[in-house]
Formats: sequence, structure tokens, C-alpha cells
Amino acid sequence: MKSTLRMTAVTAVALALAAGAAGCASDKATGGSGGAGADGVKQGPGVTDKTIKLGVATDLTGVYAPLGKSLTQSQQLYFEQTNAAGGVCGRKIETVVRDHGYDPQKAVSIYSELSTSVLAIPQFLGSPMVTAVKQRIESDKMFTIPSAWSTTLLGSEPIQVTGTTYDVDMINGIEWLLSKKLIKKGDKLGHVYFEGDYGGSALRGAKFAADKHGLTIVEQKIKATDNDMGPQVAALSKAKVAAILMSAGPRQSASLAGIARSQGMKQPILGSNSAFSPQLLATPAKPALVEGFFFTSAGAPISADLPEVKKLADAYAKKYPGQPMDSAVVSGYGNGAIVVSALKKACEAKDLTREGLIKAHRSDANADTGLGTPMNFTYFDKPATRKTYVLQPKDKIPGGAVIVQEATESELATTYQPPVGSY
Amino acid sequence: MSSALSRALRPTVIAAVAGLVVMLVIPFYAEPFLLQAGLFAMAAAIGAIGLNLLTGSTGQLSMGHAFFLAVGAYGYVYFAGDSGHELSGLGLPTPLAAVLAVVLAGLAGGLFSPIAGRLRGTYLGIASLALIFIGQHILHNAHAITGGANGRDVPPLELAGFSFADTPELVVFQVPLRALEKLWFLALLLLLAAAWVARGILRGRPGRAMGTIRDHEIAAGVMGVPVARYRAGVFVLSSMYAGLAGVLLAMAFRRTVPDYFGIILSLEYLAMIVIGGLGSVAGAVAGAAFVSLLPPLFTRYGDGLPLIAAPGAEGVSPAEASRILYGAAVVAVVLFFPGGLLGVWGRVRASLAARRTSHPLTRMEPEEQPT
Repeated sequence: MKSTLRMTAVTAVALALAAGAAGCASDKATGGSGGAGADGVKQGPGVTDKTIKLGVATDLTGVYAPLGKSLTQSQQLYFEQTNAAGGVCGRKIETVVRDHGYDPQKAVSIYSELSTSVLAIPQFLGSPMVTAVKQRIESDKMFTIPSAWSTTLLGSEPIQVTGTTYDVDMINGIEWLLSKKLIKKGDKLGHVYFEGDYGGSALRGAKFAADKHGLTIVEQKIKATDNDMGPQVAALSKAKVAAILMSAGPRQSASLAGIARSQGMKQPILGSNSAFSPQLLATPAKPALVEGFFFTSAGAPISADLPEVKKLADAYAKKYPGQPMDSAVVSGYGNGAIVVSALKKACEAKDLTREGLIKAHRSDANADTGLGTPMNFTYFDKPATRKTYVLQPKDKIPGGAVIVQEATESELATTYQPPVGSY
Repeated sequence: MSSALSRALRPTVIAAVAGLVVMLVIPFYAEPFLLQAGLFAMAAAIGAIGLNLLTGSTGQLSMGHAFFLAVGAYGYVYFAGDSGHELSGLGLPTPLAAVLAVVLAGLAGGLFSPIAGRLRGTYLGIASLALIFIGQHILHNAHAITGGANGRDVPPLELAGFSFADTPELVVFQVPLRALEKLWFLALLLLLAAAWVARGILRGRPGRAMGTIRDHEIAAGVMGVPVARYRAGVFVLSSMYAGLAGVLLAMAFRRTVPDYFGIILSLEYLAMIVIGGLGSVAGAVAGAAFVSLLPPLFTRYGDGLPLIAAPGAEGVSPAEASRILYGAAVVAVVLFFPGGLLGVWGRVRASLAARRTSHPLTRMEPEEQPT
């Protein structure tokens, strides 16, 4: 009884003290933010008269560390160049780089930090990480460019999926296989894919194309931790597939191609854009990859014959000598350009708030960074473009890949209705 | 009266009041990042208290804690969520859903109790490892309930018309309270209740029985403790604690993702109770705070520390540094402080008390000198 009394007393005193302390001035008290700068530009979170803070939530220590590093470095290169040219709106761009290590919980913590300190997030790596905070991105109106291309991220105004989604890539890829007579109507296609939205998106596209062309898909679902593709190759060999579709990681591609070729399987292999990385060419899987292996990508490879891409390749090699130049370099740089162009437009409208930035961005119907396909940002329930490059790995070339087919939109892809917010 | 007053001014009571005041004031000042980290830490503390009852007090190793966290988190989402075109849910009132989720975690623990009651120590650890893999398989493949690899949105808790969501904002002392601030108070309340219950169990008859089972199983049996029943019972209780932690985690996350509830999470909980101190409530809380606050704080404030490179540059990144420090802490605790953080505190207090009370009598006082 006594102890209950004491507990009550303790709690009461604590509550009274807490109320007193909370009454004191706090930074969080309302009425402070939302002002305009000296130049009359309305300023959102992370914007001052001198700087604009942008957040980068990437993976520098987890499974996608090589990708995250290239993306981050090329993005920082773009912002440095922008700052050297005078910045945006008379303000310098500052990046806040945070590493989530491909862990959703860390990503949630990181987003909590960024939600109050930055204006926009030009790079948010990994669709599980972005979906984990999607609700909050929407309520915060935080302009975000995910480095992931699954259809689950469509349908949200502040989130801009750049390029094509995995399903559209697969449709264009299968159309290309048909046009090159590598497969024909009635054939069986094997599809090795990761469980989850990446593989699920790609499979959806493959099934759509297969349905229209009378093909059959032989599904092989794998986990991200499965590295030996022996059983999958055996199953596909038994099913007598005419080609193999690959929507998994680079490691799985190397294993699949290596085992298939060593068993005398000569079928073409077509990968999604995350199925290849130039580092594979330094592994024993190289001979299997440079022959009969293709992959799709919405972004131009760094070896592309475009003036902007050439300029980027030179600048990147100068700034980060000896670093691998994969397709992420182009993609990170391009995303930086998209955000800066939105910032410039928002500055013209004298509105550098989050709402103003999204409005500026969504007014762009034909955004051309010169780094590949122009994109339409006025809608967010469809991919911003439906054009896909078909690439082939090649040794001793920057980025380790050359273009086999320029960015093309197949007729089938134009009729395709991607799912919004699911896969 | 004067004795009551002096008791009320005892250092421990004053410390408790001060601690509670600080915890209550934090949401009014701290930025969302700190609140988020603190919320995770408080949820983890509840889970760690549960695991400590099982592992620290009863000596039963469990590697399946992450599974019960998942049952709590997904249970809440399923009970409270609405049925969509691909997802199913029961759409129950959220407080009821939270309670049912905890009960569900207890039931899951109960289903495992025939095994938990028979197996001892490390053998139970190995058996419970299976739960993780079963859990991962279910979470990835039971699409209608779990949303598959992508997870599901978590409906915010609504208590008698009061919503624990960002909107509507509740303005107190001119500070707008959004989801994180509101959840902070809820988590604090639940943590205090969870700690109080666990303390009651540990200090009473069941606590002594659990300690005897850990230290000498046969002696416990001889003294009339139903060993198997106790083991099974503690397993259920610890599952329910994990379930409650899971519900809170789900609310703090606002999205449940299956990858989170893997083997690493189970190991983190074991690390919490080892670092904090086995067999006590305060140890579990201290360990949970250490393990769950260290990585985010390092990521956030790593820029200012020497020897740590900015993310993206060459060198030791903040994330790596926090992992190294975390590993070093586990090794240091195991080697030098077998009692964990709480043991360190106990030693400091003991040495202080010894210095204060002991006055070694080196010679007699003058009047006592023999003349």
C-alpha cells in the first residue's frame, strides 16, 4: 500500500516537473518555420538563404554497396559541378549522405532524420527501404527518387521512378528476342527470379508478353541468398527452354551462365538491369557472359555514343580514378540532374517548399538530361518512359557493356497497363 | 512523517523522478530522428525483458525471439488491417487488435511449449532456431496475411477517439505532437508496465523457482518446482513480451517487412541481454538501449568523430565503425564484465559504498590510549 502511494507521489511529481519543463521554449514550438528568404523565395525544410540540403539514403556497406557507391559518387559529382557553376537560386547544394546498409529499420531511422533536415531525396536505394517509409514520404510531401524500378513504387505523387519499370523492360526484351529470331511462337522460356517485388514485377511483364505471343514461362523462384544456380539450370534444361530470362542479382547471373554453358546449353540469356555488373567480367564467369548473354536497361550505358555521357565518363574518371564505371554512374548523375532542373523551375516560381518542388517537377512533360531517353514526369501512375536498351557485356570497355539495340519501345509495351502500387 | 519524507528523498527515488521527467520532456524537444531511435529502443527493451526472463533467469536459450516479434507485429496488422483486393484483414478496433496480437504471440509460444518444456539450455536454442526459418517462409509466402516480401502498412492505433497518427496533430505547450511523439508516451507507459510486471515475477516465488531451475534443475525438482511446467510457462510469457514489442515496433515502423525479422534480430536480442546483464530487468533495458541506439547515433553523428570517413569517401564509414564498436563491446563485456553493464554499475556502487563506510581503525583515539 505504502509503495503504491510512493509510486503515485513519484509519478505526480515527475509529471508536474515535466509539464513545467515542456512549457519552456522549445525549437519544435509552432510558428517558426515556413518563412521566405531574403530574395522573396518561399523556403521549405533544409533551405536557407545560402544552401539547399538534399538527402541521400543509400547502401554503402550492404549487398548493394558497389551500386550505392557509384550512385552516390556520381551524384556528388553532379552537385559539385552545379555548385561550381553558381549553384541553384543563388544557393549551394549540400548533400546529407546516410548509409542504411540495406536494412529497413535503419532506413526508417534515417528517413526520420532526413524528414526534417532536407528538402528532397535525390537517391533512396532499394524498394523495400522506400516502401517502408512510403506512407511518410506521402504525408511529408518529400520529393524522392528511388534507385529501384519496381511497380510497387508507382502511384505516389512525391515519388519519381525514373526510366522504365522491370516489367516493361522484360516485355521489350522478349519482343527483341522474337525480332532477332532467337525464340519463336510456342517456345518455352525459363524465368529465374528473386522473390519479392523486383522479381515479381519482371515476372509479370514476362507473363504478359508470353500470353500475347503464345509462349510458356517456366518459373524458377529463388531467394536473394541462393548463389548456386545448379538446380535451376538442371530444371530448365529438363524443360527444354528456348531462352532463359534472369531477374536476380549479378552473382546469380554469373552462376547461371557459367553452369549452363559448361553443360552445353546454348540458349540466349536475357537479364533485367540489376542482373549484371561490370565486376563480373573480372571473374571466371567472363567467357560465359560475353557470349549469348544480354540485359535490358532504361538508362544508357557509360559506353554510349552520347555527348553528355562522354563528358560524364571523362569527369568521373578524373574525379574518381580507378573506380568501376557501371550503369549506376549514369543513373545517379541523371537523377541529380532531374532534381536540379526541378529546383531551378521551383526557384523561378519563387517557391522552394516541398509542395513547390513537386509542382515544378510534375510540370515537365519532356525532360531530357541528354543521358538517354527523355521522360515524362506529369503522371505518376505509369512509368516515365517505355523505351529499353538491350545491352551485351563486353570486355575492356568502360562500364563493361555495349548497346545491341538502341532505346526502343515495342508495340506491346505501349499497350501494357502496369499495376500501380503492387506487383 | 519525517521518516516518510527522508524515504521520499532517498537517492534512488530522486533518480527515478529525474529519469521519468527527462523521458517525459524529451518528445517536446528532440528531433524526429532521436524519437524514432528512442522508440525502437523502448520496444526492444520490452522484448529484451521477455528474453531475459527466459534466458537470463531460467537459463533457457532462445534463438526464436524474432519469430515471436514477427507474430506480434503481423498479428496486429492482420487483426487491425482492412481487407484489400489482395490483402485480408479483420478490421477490428486497434486496441483490441494489439491485445489479440500479444495473446497470439503467447499462443504461438504455447504451441512450442511441449518442446520448450522438455529441452534444456542450448538444445532449446537449436530447436528454436527452426522457428526463424519457418517464420521467414510464412512471412514471404502467406501473401494475403503478410503482404509477401513487400510487407504491409500498419494501421495507426486509435484509443477512444485519440489517434496515434501524424494527423490530426495534438498541440500541447505549443509543440505539435505527431505520431512519433504520441507513440513515445505510449511506449514509455508500456515499458514501465512491462518492467514492473517482470520485476514482480522475478522478486516473488516464481522468480526464485526460475533461478533454481537455471542453477540446479534436480534441486528444483526435489524442492517441488514443476520444472517442465515452469519452463513452458516462462517460454509463453517471454513470447508475449516479444509479441508486445512486435506490436510497438510495427507502430513505430508503420510498415512491416519480413526481412527485418531474421536471425540477426534474434542475435541482437541475445546481445542486448548479455551486454546489459543477465537475469535482471534493468540490465535488459540498459542492453536494449545500448544495442539499438549505438548504430543510428553513429550514422547520424559519425561525421564529427575522428578517424571516421564521410559516407561515400574512402575509409571506415560510420556504419562500419558502429559495427566494430558493437562487436568490441560484446567481447569486452564477455571478457571483463561478466555481469554486463548492470554489473559494472553494481561494482562502481559497491566500491563507492565501501569507501564511504569503511574507516579502517589504524590506531586508538587519544583517550583510549593506555596510559
